[in-house]
Amino acid sequence: MPRITVDGRDYEVPEGRTLLQALDDLGVLMNGVEIPHYCWHPKLSIDGSCRLCQVEIEGQPKLQIACNTPVQDGMVVYTRTERVRRAREGVMELLLVNHPLDCPICDQAGECKLQDYAFEYGVPRSRTREPRRALKKRVDLGPTIVFDQERCILCRRCVRFCREVPGTGELGVFGRGDRSVVDVFPGEELRNDYSMNVADICPVGALTTRDFRFRIRVWFLKEIPGVCTGCSRGCNIHLGTAYNRVYRYTPRRNDEVNETWICDEGRLSYKAIGAPDRIREPWLRSARGVLEPATESDALGRAADRIRTAAEAHGPGVVAALASPHATNEDLFVLRRLLAALGTEVHGMAVPRGRGDEILLREERAPNVAGGRALGFGEAEPVLDRIRGGGVSVLLVLGHDLLDPRYEGALDALRRCESVILLDTHHSELERAAEIVLPVRHAAEKLGTFTNFAGRVQRIEPAVEPPFLALSDGETLHRLGRTLGLAGFAGVYDVRAISRAIGSEFPAFAGRDVDAVGPLGLPLAGDPA
Amino acid sequence: MVISEAVRERIEAAKARFPQPRGALLAALHLVQEELGHIPPEAEREVADLFGLRPVEVHEVVSFYNMFHSESGGRHRVYVCTNLPCSLRGARTLLRHLESHLGIRCGQTTPDGRITLGHEECLGACAYAPMMRVDRTYHEDLDPERAVRILDELE
Ligand code: SF4
Ligand code: SF4
Ligand code: FES
Ligand code: FES
Repeated sequence: MPRITVDGRDYEVPEGRTLLQALDDLGVLMNGVEIPHYCWHPKLSIDGSCRLCQVEIEGQPKLQIACNTPVQDGMVVYTRTERVRRAREGVMELLLVNHPLDCPICDQAGECKLQDYAFEYGVPRSRTREPRRALKKRVDLGPTIVFDQERCILCRRCVRFCREVPGTGELGVFGRGDRSVVDVFPGEELRNDYSMNVADICPVGALTTRDFRFRIRVWFLKEIPGVCTGCSRGCNIHLGTAYNRVYRYTPRRNDEVNETWICDEGRLSYKAIGAPDRIREPWLRSARGVLEPATESDALGRAADRIRTAAEAHGPGVVAALASPHATNEDLFVLRRLLAALGTEVHGMAVPRGRGDEILLREERAPNVAGGRALGFGEAEPVLDRIRGGGVSVLLVLGHDLLDPRYEGALDALRRCESVILLDTHHSELERAAEIVLPVRHAAEKLGTFTNFAGRVQRIEPAVEPPFLALSDGETLHRLGRTLGLAGFAGVYDVRAISRAIGSEFPAFAGRDVDAVGPLGLPLAGDPA
Repeated sequence: MVISEAVRERIEAAKARFPQPRGALLAALHLVQEELGHIPPEAEREVADLFGLRPVEVHEVVSFYNMFHSESGGRHRVYVCTNLPCSLRGARTLLRHLESHLGIRCGQTTPDGRITLGHEECLGACAYAPMMRVDRTYHEDLDPERAVRILDELE
């Protein structure tokens, strides 16, 4: 492996990479070695057009662009010399010649690389008197993206993204020189399942998502690391939160899972968190047959009653559960313990499905399908069959995954149970079959782990508090167990302890608890995937 | 289809002359423009098909070069060079003179559809500045009167 020296420090770098790539591979780029860059992106082809990444290399008379200069053994690189600083200053001045003074009304302000580097390397005064290039300020490129042509610095990241990642290639650079503009082919639009990533990679405020545009100043946002719940890929994200609300999901880099991308559907799924149809309190079916608001203790009391009575009359086998792949490993583990304490083995898991693709999106549209399977939850059908056969009196249901068209007729089947206890985040049709409804927390509101399709255990943490009383599925089930007086359910719920306990019963999870997996997750032990 | 079978054949022949068929893209675009007078989006799509490119890539090329036109124009295209040497030799006055003679602004087409007037960057004839290009012919060492006469003779 070639050895190079950057600013006096030695690095052993992979062969056949360019300087920026090699430093990025080592994880030191912009994290110890600061080489500003606009056009280069770790997951896109090299463009070499912005010239900001110039560095000095010993033995080379001219500065070289770090993004496109292959590493060589013995290479000695300087990134902080006066020559380099002057080059960056020159590049910044040229980029700013035509840039509008939009920061006060620009969404990117606060997370804008042009702002950052103008501050660091920019000349405070403009040496040009010519008017700046006047272009279109609001181009609707498609259903998701709004484009400000004046702000574009022509780095071509968006163009390359569309060609290289979704492969749809809607964008191009038209014209030449100082008249170049990014646009779509006449009469077409930017429309693909990953379109909104262009707003993330645009280093300036030229591309904005229609969804987030003008919603909030980014410096008010706290970015909490989390995992998308849209499918079993479990893309790593940041939840941008303020005032106890989630304003956006943006991709968080994890080369093992989602590189630096997320799909549009997953990105917009944050809307479910603050949705008006959240279940905000427990509900109980009254003597008149309608659901009425109730207290938590009444709801848990009634649920415990139903379970006890049924088990005493017909044995524990008439108590069954349908788990949700939207619940965390911890939630599902508590469910397993509860079922074991009750002495029943009738359980399954309903998995909603959708269209998958070759990029990120998986057919299984929930974040913890693999976790549920690893914890022993099989298919939902056998449980449904048993219900249809009249073998289930009390059914615990987590989530509304059963409403997937795949489980057609499930609602009718559920009506055959004497009592359905539903733990859910959102109101749904399923309530029609429920006797007891308990509100639970969304993934954005709790601590826990999900296991993605490849067996990677990834952590989520509370980004917001629900504005009503709701616990996680695990804690709700814990309280149900306590109400039932089951062994092992006394005391206060401790999700961290639960998370650790999973590993002692399921060895694959050993050392994969919330505190151990770290920000990028860990594969299940002994799992080659 | 807006590109005729005959032109398609010539494009295929051009492709065969390049080690990478894509090298014939400019030649193809010239052929198309010769036939249609300009290169509309439908033609770009068809060219893209012939070359296995995306229409957007063909449009990048068409919009890059001044000599390709996306919009239809007059029967004749007249371009006055306004780059530095020509400007020093009076190109701007020449252009203004032609504008007022034709009654249109640079970039417009006369109402009778006879002439589209434009300006160009250096056409490589600086030694004979100022100059203008009328379709495929260069007219050099111009003065306003001679330029007007040349235009008046156009059909
Ligand atoms: S719109 Fe943004 S990403 Fe695209 S070329 Fe312009 S600056 Fe780069
Ligand atoms: S691919 Fe799946 S996990 Fe990734 S963003 Fe889309 S829905 Fe979310
Ligand atoms: S990052 Fe190297 S030239 Fe743009
Ligand atoms: S400047 Fe006009 S031909 Fe060169």
